[in-house]
Amino acid sequence: MSRLSVLSPLGTAAGGIKPLARRRGSLRGLRIGILDNSKPNAEVLLGRVAELLVERAGAGPIALWRKPGASHPATVIDEVVASSDVVLTGSAD
Amino acid sequence: MLGTDAFAGLAEAAAASLGMPHLQLAAVAHPIGGIDPKLVRAKAETVVDRVLEALTRDPSPPLAASVATVCAVAAPGDLDAFQDFAVAEGWSDGLPVLPPTEERVGRILGRLAGDRTEVIATLVPRQGVATLEAIAVNAALAGALPEHLPVVVAAIRALADPRFNLNAIQTTTHPCTPLLIVNGPIAARLGINAGANALGQGHRANAVIGRAVRLTLQNVGGARPGREDRATLGHPGKYSYCVAEHEAASPWAPLHVERGFRPAESCVTVCGAEAPHNVNDHGSTTAEALLFAIAGTAATTGSNNIYLGGEPLVVLGPEHAQTFATGGWSKADVKRAIWERARVRLDRFSPENRERFAVIDPARFGDRLLADEVALCASPDDLMVIVAGGPGKHSAIIPTFGATRSVTVRIEE
Repeated sequence: MSRLSVLSPLGTAAGGIKPLARRRGSLRGLRIGILDNSKPNAEVLLGRVAELLVERAGAGPIALWRKPGASHPATVIDEVVASSDVVLTGSAD
Repeated sequence: MLGTDAFAGLAEAAAASLGMPHLQLAAVAHPIGGIDPKLVRAKAETVVDRVLEALTRDPSPPLAASVATVCAVAAPGDLDAFQDFAVAEGWSDGLPVLPPTEERVGRILGRLAGDRTEVIATLVPRQGVATLEAIAVNAALAGALPEHLPVVVAAIRALADPRFNLNAIQTTTHPCTPLLIVNGPIAARLGINAGANALGQGHRANAVIGRAVRLTLQNVGGARPGREDRATLGHPGKYSYCVAEHEAASPWAPLHVERGFRPAESCVTVCGAEAPHNVNDHGSTTAEALLFAIAGTAATTGSNNIYLGGEPLVVLGPEHAQTFATGGWSKADVKRAIWERARVRLDRFSPENRERFAVIDPARFGDRLLADEVALCASPDDLMVIVAGGPGKHSAIIPTFGATRSVTVRIEE
């Protein structure tokens, strides 16, 4: 079969790889931040997972922030980062 | 990051676009929303071990990011076989596409070929770099002609304006896609239909310009249907959604002039739009009477605009527009009158939705009586009104995503 040279419509993608924060071996005593993406029941799932991390791994305390709407970026990222050791957030319906 | 299994692809794409492809995702069985909170709490139990591991153990370092460039790819030379190839590569929308050969792309770029690496926008969620060339490759796939490129490029520039909130439009479950509204002399010059069947098929310029934008969003922006593009249903305008305003048939200033451009300037407005819903009114002969059907069609409980705001679009057929104008109504009069009449009583919403909307928009939904009414959007100025279509007694209501603002930019030629 004859071949044809075409240009890919994908173009390039910006951005590189960012390092993640180093994980500690245990969550004992670590502050858990919850960033609720404001989808229905998100705070229920995230809140219950946080409770279980407190029960099972000795994490805590828990603090909660809420995005202004699921479709808008969080405006409180700096505050969340400054006040938390680990953060739980969500992406889904 | 927590999510549901059905949305894992989007969550992973979002993490990768932020430079964190190695961020761990803990997924529960879909859905979370719209179910008893007790069931949601039970789902937490299924995922806590995964969360605990993700928070206490460093992830494997990511593989080097694959860098896709505008590169030449070997494809089948046979046009029918090329269709299978394009679908398999994820480049297509399902309709036949033209092979984006260097020759075809070069022809579309024309005198802009020297600026092919110019970056017009970075498109989310993929952070895809929409260079002139990358846009032209998608225009080639779509079957666009060189003269269509300036409209496509202007639309891409408009879509990247932060007010548009492209990331949400690209990834939402809501059925929305950019509707392109073209104003100014370029519309007639390119044959962009504003008349009979304006929102329908049959005109190449409308078809290929809208399609080129959509393919650019899919391919460069990385909104692949069923993956990052999470639309529950979508709508047929996602193949192509482009119209010109029928300025000659409008009794009022066209959209771009309302927004501060000169009549002789050519502009494109993008809005994150649902499919049109028709307003049939063959009987009313006055402006006041015509309001009943328009407002009745626009006031619905299931609309995003009613609780998220944004700018619902009213497309008036020329004959309906003339009925308003004969009554001496300005476009602002029409907007205010529709806004005052297009209302929904609170007892038409379910208790769950009243509670949810009161959190999202307490000013409009909080502490209200069940007999109180809310308007179809936050203010009369938020309503968009254009004139399009041919002879006949029809208009259309086009709701939008809500958390988005339409953006108008000049088309540079």
